[in-house]
Amino acid sequence: MLLKSMRGEFLMTADIKDITIKDLNVWYGPVHAVKDVELFVPAGSITTILGANGAGKSSTLKAIAGDIRYTGTIMIGNESINTLPVYKRVRNGIVLCPEGRGVFYQMTVKENLLAGAYTNKNTNFDLVFSIFPFLKDRLNQIAGTLSGGEQQMLAIARSLMANPKYLMLDEPSLGLAPIVIQKIVEVIKQINESLKITIILVEQNTSVALSIAHYGYVLENGRIALSGKSSELIGNPIVQEKYLGGVKK
Amino acid sequence: MINQILLGLSTGAMYSLVAIGLVMMYKVSGVMNFAYGNMGMFITYIIWWLSSSVGLNLYFSIILGIIMAAMMGVFVERFALRPIRHLSHASMLIVTFGILMILEGLAVEIWGTEYKSFPELVSGSPFVLKGNFGILVLRKQDILIFSVLAIISVAIALFTKFTKFGIAVRAVSENEEVSGYIGINVGNVLGFSWAFGVAMSALVGVIAAPKVFVSPTMLTFYQIQGFTAAVLGGFETFTGAVFGGLILGILEKIVGNYISEGFKASISLVIIILVLVFFPSGLFGRRIRRRA
Repeated sequence: MLLKSMRGEFLMTADIKDITIKDLNVWYGPVHAVKDVELFVPAGSITTILGANGAGKSSTLKAIAGDIRYTGTIMIGNESINTLPVYKRVRNGIVLCPEGRGVFYQMTVKENLLAGAYTNKNTNFDLVFSIFPFLKDRLNQIAGTLSGGEQQMLAIARSLMANPKYLMLDEPSLGLAPIVIQKIVEVIKQINESLKITIILVEQNTSVALSIAHYGYVLENGRIALSGKSSELIGNPIVQEKYLGGVKK
Repeated sequence: MINQILLGLSTGAMYSLVAIGLVMMYKVSGVMNFAYGNMGMFITYIIWWLSSSVGLNLYFSIILGIIMAAMMGVFVERFALRPIRHLSHASMLIVTFGILMILEGLAVEIWGTEYKSFPELVSGSPFVLKGNFGILVLRKQDILIFSVLAIISVAIALFTKFTKFGIAVRAVSENEEVSGYIGINVGNVLGFSWAFGVAMSALVGVIAAPKVFVSPTMLTFYQIQGFTAAVLGGFETFTGAVFGGLILGILEKIVGNYISEGFKASISLVIIILVLVFFPSGLFGRRIRRRA
């Protein structure tokens, strides 16, 4: 397949490892946002973190990205990355695609992609074009004038330019129409299967997340309430009641 | 009239240079640097001291001084501003006020308050052009200022458009957090913006010194006018800074010539107020184009 053959030049080192997180705690002043969270993200999987607003999902991602202070251990394989600042974690393949897209509104699509490739010598757009063909015709458009769905896709494309091994997506479906969400779900699957990029997906849209994830964790008030294979979580009565709107079998 | 405009453009170009430095620091780090003029003043003193007391070649002293200015910018940003970055912009503003006073006090303490003369960088008789438009007098100093402004404007345009680090600078100025997530070392970009800004201030100091003499308050007026120019241009874009400065220079000259020399300074404050009332994002400010 096209994508597979390209991966060789895009990902120079293909040594993908498991991510292990132990005793993760995050405080915002007196607020204890993440409490003793333990996560295991198997190499090559899509792992989703679910939960309501303020459950600590985004804080967990930001801790992994190194953007906020935390206690605990975050390991890739057997190596702790605790001491690395944000930009060095990116060089180790950990890339966060933040909530609310955060594209550079005043810059063109091309410049957004080039900014994404900042750590990467290879500024070849072919790989992102193969996933997002529409970007090819929009290279000189100002990113702020793209639609919401297009901005989300540009944000994912920009993250891919940074050559991730572990891609964290924070609520990619936020504020998008169902048909666009469907498109983004397919893209996430494609990135995972074809490029062999491990994905950590944070979502409030539980049914969408569980439909593509291999594993899932449910956070409640900063603690892990449930965890397991996504097929098991879908069948779990608590998940059905709280997060899937009480769908009856 | 045409000579008045030319003279106005020449002072205006100086304001543009001041504004470019201010805008670079403001765009990237979000801090309005009140110590800007005094940083340049202090470096100009050092250059004057190197060339007149130590006896180094003038041009070598200037290059040395500008390197020192860049280091000063990096140092101040890294050790005085970054530790309090997470607090608020107001606290960083106060720090720049503190630096303003420290540098002024130091300069008075070390070199005294008497004016020091600084050699002209270029000298010689002006070019006189005659034509059907009348007589045009072009001083060599004007040519120097115009070429410095032209070189720096073109360099910035190329840098921010076509180099990777330039794109990173724009990325950080738009969204610091996201820039970190894609692997940009935000600290380096902040340091760069201050190095560039303070170097610009020193450059302005050197160019202005022959005219205003080296003194502790030599750049105060330039800083105020540069700030006005930046506001006029929208405070966000370098194009705005350049044209804001040039327009302000011409306006000032015309007001000084046809109304009164005494209104020259106050007119700029009136302009700030009017621009902020009628064009909140400046004459050249970019309307933020963006869809929800």
